[in-house]
Amino acid sequence: MGLLDRLSGLLGLKKKEVHVLCLGLDNSGKTTIINKLKPSNLGTEPRALHLLGKHSTTELNPQPQHIYDCAQVQDIVPTIGFSIEKFKSSSLSFTVFDMSGQGRYRNLWEHYYKDGQAIIFVVDSSDKLRMVVAKEELDTLLNHPDIKHRRIPILFFANKMDLRDAVTSVKVSQLLCLENIKDKPWHICASDALKGEGLQEGVDWLQDQIQAVKT
Amino acid sequence: MAATTSSPDSDSGRAESNEANSKWLDAHYDPMANIHTFSSCLALADLHGDGEYKLVVGDLGPGGQQPRLKVLKGPTVLTESPLPALPASAATFLMDQHEPRTPALALASGPCVYVYKNLRPYFKFSLPQLPPNPLEQDLWNQAKEDRIDPLTLKEMLEDIREKAEVPLSVQSLRFLQLELNEMEAFVNQHKSKVIKRQTVITTMTTLKKNLADEDAVSCLVLGTENKELLVLDPEAFTILTKMSLPSVPVFLEVSGQFDVEFRLTAACRDGSIYILRRDSKHPKYCIELSAQPVGLVRVHKILVVGSTQESLHGFTHKGKKLWTVQMPAAILTMNLLEQRSRGLQAVMAALANGEVRIYRDKALLNVVRAPDAVTSLCFGRYGREDNTLIMTTRGGGLIIKILKRTAVFVEGTGEVGPPLAQTTKLSVPRKTRLYVDQTLREREAGTVMHRTFQTDLYLLRLRAARAYVQALESSLSPMSATAREPLKLHAVVQGLGPTFKLTLHLQNTSTARPVLGLQVCFLYNEAFYALPRAFFKVPLLVPGLSYPLETFVESLSSKGISDIIKVLVLREGQSAPLLSAHINMPVSEGLAAA
Ligand SMILES: Nc1nc2c(ncn2[C@@H]2O[C@H](COP(=O)(O)OP(=O)(O)OP(=O)(O)O)[C@@H](O)[C@H]2O)c(=O)[nH]1
Ligand SMILES: [Mg+2]
Repeated sequence: MGLLDRLSGLLGLKKKEVHVLCLGLDNSGKTTIINKLKPSNLGTEPRALHLLGKHSTTELNPQPQHIYDCAQVQDIVPTIGFSIEKFKSSSLSFTVFDMSGQGRYRNLWEHYYKDGQAIIFVVDSSDKLRMVVAKEELDTLLNHPDIKHRRIPILFFANKMDLRDAVTSVKVSQLLCLENIKDKPWHICASDALKGEGLQEGVDWLQDQIQAVKT
Repeated sequence: MAATTSSPDSDSGRAESNEANSKWLDAHYDPMANIHTFSSCLALADLHGDGEYKLVVGDLGPGGQQPRLKVLKGPTVLTESPLPALPASAATFLMDQHEPRTPALALASGPCVYVYKNLRPYFKFSLPQLPPNPLEQDLWNQAKEDRIDPLTLKEMLEDIREKAEVPLSVQSLRFLQLELNEMEAFVNQHKSKVIKRQTVITTMTTLKKNLADEDAVSCLVLGTENKELLVLDPEAFTILTKMSLPSVPVFLEVSGQFDVEFRLTAACRDGSIYILRRDSKHPKYCIELSAQPVGLVRVHKILVVGSTQESLHGFTHKGKKLWTVQMPAAILTMNLLEQRSRGLQAVMAALANGEVRIYRDKALLNVVRAPDAVTSLCFGRYGREDNTLIMTTRGGGLIIKILKRTAVFVEGTGEVGPPLAQTTKLSVPRKTRLYVDQTLREREAGTVMHRTFQTDLYLLRLRAARAYVQALESSLSPMSATAREPLKLHAVVQGLGPTFKLTLHLQNTSTARPVLGLQVCFLYNEAFYALPRAFFKVPLLVPGLSYPLETFVESLSSKGISDIIKVLVLREGQSAPLLSAHINMPVSEGLAAA
């Protein structure tokens, strides 16, 4: 069995599974990002072409998404509770818990901390008012007993960078005081989930981090 | 009446929000935002139907000079447009059932209500004309025919202003403000106009039409300088009903639905609060305050009124007074805080000392300190955050704070008035048979029981006194208590053995009298110890000095036994010692080593 596993691993048939938590305030673009990373949407996205796979667990997006990005994004509604999505990178198979960011569902997050092997934290760079709320939720996350003493990698997306009143990713990392995170690998990418820009960079970093831990 | 007042400052410390464990996140502070307004001119609504709530501000402008309508998105001003007159009130409401259900914005200013939909002017409602004063009309007619010169006109108008029942028109009032040289031109310009008299809007609020839902269609309710309350139709803006008040309304609170049953509460300039019902053309209840109202907020069924006497009062909806809370400073403005997720409604009161105090009934829940006195505030959904507190300051600053998701307002952290324990019900156990019997016995034999107790108490005291006296008489203490011989004894043992050095420090603690004729005697077991002299005389003791009296003690035991040596201080010719001390001798180590 072990041999078969390794063989299939070498051949790239069976990839390592990782559990990722996708967190962030409501309306930050978590679902949009994950949808973009899911294989069925890659056809329209040349930058992400090498994310191969045939498997899709699209729940929020029942319409066939083939032609136009925006049409597909408009179907995204605020997540209720959470949803589980899957996508693959070149060497890993991601299972993503797309948590709802609405205030009344945020207390659900912590129940999934134990099982998460990586965190994607999405910030709406154009929502200056709620940057403090994002910081508060991040601090709560970092101080949670299930997270505090683990070297769990955190990928930040400074999303919606296409909007006029968006602040830069540098500013976002300042506002969230990311430099204070000393005991966990973290990385911040500016992203535009509608066009898919910046997502690949982030996923590549995450994959490197997870592999660095595993090997 | 349960009126409770507390000392002004005693309570402020406990409900204080200090940085670390504050309930609030500081989302934005701009001291130069240039917003000058009152709470009545603030409104929050999803004006564009995009889920992002905007803030509407009827801005008076610096010094009340440039009134403007501002709409803010987050920390920034989205649109800004000038207003013809100072704003009195801003409100948002749903006019109709059409989709998308974006709320309209109403801004009361002067005699008009400007209604905007999608932030575009939609309708202008003007208060109906009032009949002008016939005398005034007559004067202007004369002016028109040049039969009267401006100075006489001024005098006559002033006369009318002083005496007449019907107030002057705006035209006449403006004329009276003019300088001599401007009058002529003004008369020429205005004399042919028909004089109009119109009152102005002092306050405005919204009242649900026929459904209690959150997103039900609402009517506008206006209060006017003419001592009237008007309810407008939400779509046609016709006057649905008119009610008159004994005074000019300045704050309004409504509950209920127009078509079903409703209650209007108006705080008026005569220092009274009038409560009107659906079918009453005149007030049904009246609350007379002893001072002017500065704010009116309805919390559930309780009316909370702030007065110029630096206090908050709670009243039932029938006007019965429930409580009073004293503030440490004058109240500038008030508003409702509603935390829906926790079902909390509370009153926010901004004070002249820069504090914003949050009360549930008379219990202080929280104190927010602003860098400047807050002149307007509101709480609600802003942007995408449900519990946002928006404040503007006297200097024109804008402060936005967000209530933490985990924040819970706990009563008692800022308790004012009687302690909580006073109101909590004790679980008194049921009266048992034994309890009843005992009470009966106590009632009947109370005197006897008391006497028995007293006897025992006296006996106890007597026994204690006897023991004390005995201790004194046998001088069992190293301190002599007799007034004639105040002495202190203190012993030190030095050495490892078998020979020890025993030093007695004897001190005469009297202030002036020397002590003569004392002797020291050692009592010990001669099998264990040997002393060169077991008895010697003490020299004269000068008051205050400590006399070291040394002697050697030889330990005789070879088995490492130690014993007690008693020291007695005696007076010549008396057998009872003045002092005594027991010295626990250490084990001789020298012997063991040898
Ligand atoms: N302009 C712009 N809009 C974006 C971007 N990403 C997401 N959005 C929009 O933001 C809105 C919210 O996106 P969602 O993906 O539902 O946000 P979410 O984080 O999943 O929200 P919850 O499920 O409520 O927690 C949608 O209307 C998206 O179209 C972006 O990069 N740029
Ligand atoms: Mg979502």
